[in-house]
Amino acid sequence: MATSWVLAEFETEVGLCAALRRLRDLGHRRLDAHSPYPLHGVDEALGLRRSPVPLIALLFGVTGAVSGYLMQWWMNGVDFPINVANRTPHSPPTNIPITFELGILFAAVAIVLGLFALAGFPRTYHPVFEAEPFRTASVNALWLSAEVDPEQAEPLERELEKLGGLRITRVAEEGRR
Amino acid sequence: MSVEPRTLDMEGTGRALLEGAPVLVGLPGDLEVNDQLFRPVWERTRRGWLALFGICMGMTGLLFTAIVYTFARGIGAWGNNIPVAWAFDIINFVWWIGIGHAGTLISAILLLFQQKWRTSINRFAEAMTLFAVMQAGIFPLVHLGRPWFFFWLFPYPSTLGLWPNFKSPLLWDVFAVSTYFTVSLLFWYVGLLPDLAALRDTSKSKAARVVYGIFSLGWRGSARHWRHYRVAYLLLAGLATPLVLSVHTIVSFDFAVSQLPGWHTTIFPPYFVAGAIFSGFAMVLTLMIPARKVLGLEHVITDRHLDNMAKVLLATGLMVSYGYATEHFIAWYSGNKLEAFAFFNTRPRGPYAPIYWLMLTCNVLVPQILWWKRARGSVWLLWIVSLLVNVGMWTERFVIIVTSLHRDFLPSSWAMYRPTWVDWSIFTGTIGFFGLLFLLFLRFVPSVAASEVKELRRELQHEEHARSQPPRAAAPAHGR
Repeated sequence: MATSWVLAEFETEVGLCAALRRLRDLGHRRLDAHSPYPLHGVDEALGLRRSPVPLIALLFGVTGAVSGYLMQWWMNGVDFPINVANRTPHSPPTNIPITFELGILFAAVAIVLGLFALAGFPRTYHPVFEAEPFRTASVNALWLSAEVDPEQAEPLERELEKLGGLRITRVAEEGRR
Repeated sequence: MSVEPRTLDMEGTGRALLEGAPVLVGLPGDLEVNDQLFRPVWERTRRGWLALFGICMGMTGLLFTAIVYTFARGIGAWGNNIPVAWAFDIINFVWWIGIGHAGTLISAILLLFQQKWRTSINRFAEAMTLFAVMQAGIFPLVHLGRPWFFFWLFPYPSTLGLWPNFKSPLLWDVFAVSTYFTVSLLFWYVGLLPDLAALRDTSKSKAARVVYGIFSLGWRGSARHWRHYRVAYLLLAGLATPLVLSVHTIVSFDFAVSQLPGWHTTIFPPYFVAGAIFSGFAMVLTLMIPARKVLGLEHVITDRHLDNMAKVLLATGLMVSYGYATEHFIAWYSGNKLEAFAFFNTRPRGPYAPIYWLMLTCNVLVPQILWWKRARGSVWLLWIVSLLVNVGMWTERFVIIVTSLHRDFLPSSWAMYRPTWVDWSIFTGTIGFFGLLFLLFLRFVPSVAASEVKELRRELQHEEHARSQPPRAAAPAHGR
């Protein structure tokens, strides 16, 4: 099914948030806001929930630290104990640094991969990039985007105009036939 | 959405604005910010850049020649001997990795403390971290003697049936440095994403658009991106902060865990961390003062930034001085003859005494000039101080490593260390390689985080707005 992307620029954060709220009230769900820096209030206007990234970080950080410790215990204490000057093969204090480092490493890698997965990266092509004016979204302009069925695009454009949207643009995406 | 509570929250910025020069001169529009910060990327290659690039390329060639020579001849090509088994390789390793730490401090710790002035310099400092850690990594790798077996350091199920000895501080180093490099790279790259997207969108040529398009991974500045991005960035900063402290702590364990007088001290971890930040800030100043002039970034990297960095330099310099004082005090107070000999005879009066006195001059005396506001305000003076601190911190590592080793426990084992041309070539070569990477960074990526400057600009505007008007009781939530 083909879909259309309707894009509109807004001059202020307040205007953008108000428009998002209005469109949500009208029943539109596939909405998004685009800006060169994070905006305040947009998450609420879009009804986005809290990011799960902290949970991912915690889970993987703990996994890294635990597996790091177990690795050292098993390798030096169980599988191949090396006797160096009669020191105990398994010595917890000497295992702290690597346990800590592996905890950090796992958490950091998981955060970045989690970000990629949640944001859908890498995805270098997206229909909104077809609209030339939309290129200002990463530079200096605030944009609203809505994914709608082609027959809804026309009324949506009129609504956006009423809400103060500028440079309203439509991108038609040809879907599966 | 109410504006007032947020602006009232930002006491940090308000106070900062009252205190001194602004963190951003003028409040240019987003488009102007973008144009100014991206100009170095889009403009034609300058002659000066090409000349510097050529010089750095030559030095990098020297580096790889010296490394290949070392591989062919073995470590005997260096001046190392017994007892001075560690010399330039470890001095330069610690020096470079210490330099890297300021980048993490600026980008991560100052972010957590909500210091607005970090915004203009974090990208720059993070790039410095990354490139400095790359130089640092070269030294232990080459010093392995048979570097093609470097993977023996990692625990993998080998046909030898052996595992690494995890009780060795040198192995802790492997994990610490590789984690540090990985996390620094991720943090830097994630921070770059919005700017890479802006580069893609302002590019004039198809090639630039494709390349920046690939590297920006399809960033659309969507609210959904920003939501995860901000949390991810903050968490990476939160992880990088203890990481940077752990890395130099572990580097200091390489020494402190041994029994050698001059190394065997408990002050080493905090003293090394302070020294690392001290040298790192010096290097940031050394690079930033010319770069901001050449790239015309004086309104973004303002005198306020230089002033703040000078203050950090002074504070960490005092911590390093305290470290020296403690070392000497404990050498006396412990009543250990070998300790006392190392600190009161070998260092101040031994054959390497000039290096010791140079260290004290550069690291203890020179930074004291930064107590004066006029000294912090003078760009030239600041640059010279930063260079001297770089020299001082290199000599500190020389004193710790070579001076402590060359007078072994028995006088019959004493020996002198003299660096060979290979030692010098590798050291100067890494400076060139670092410069090469830095020049490429300045050419292909905006050296100031444009998206963050835009955000800062907006926050400052809100603040101006709040100051010009008495705060209202409650802003009406529109549309509700």
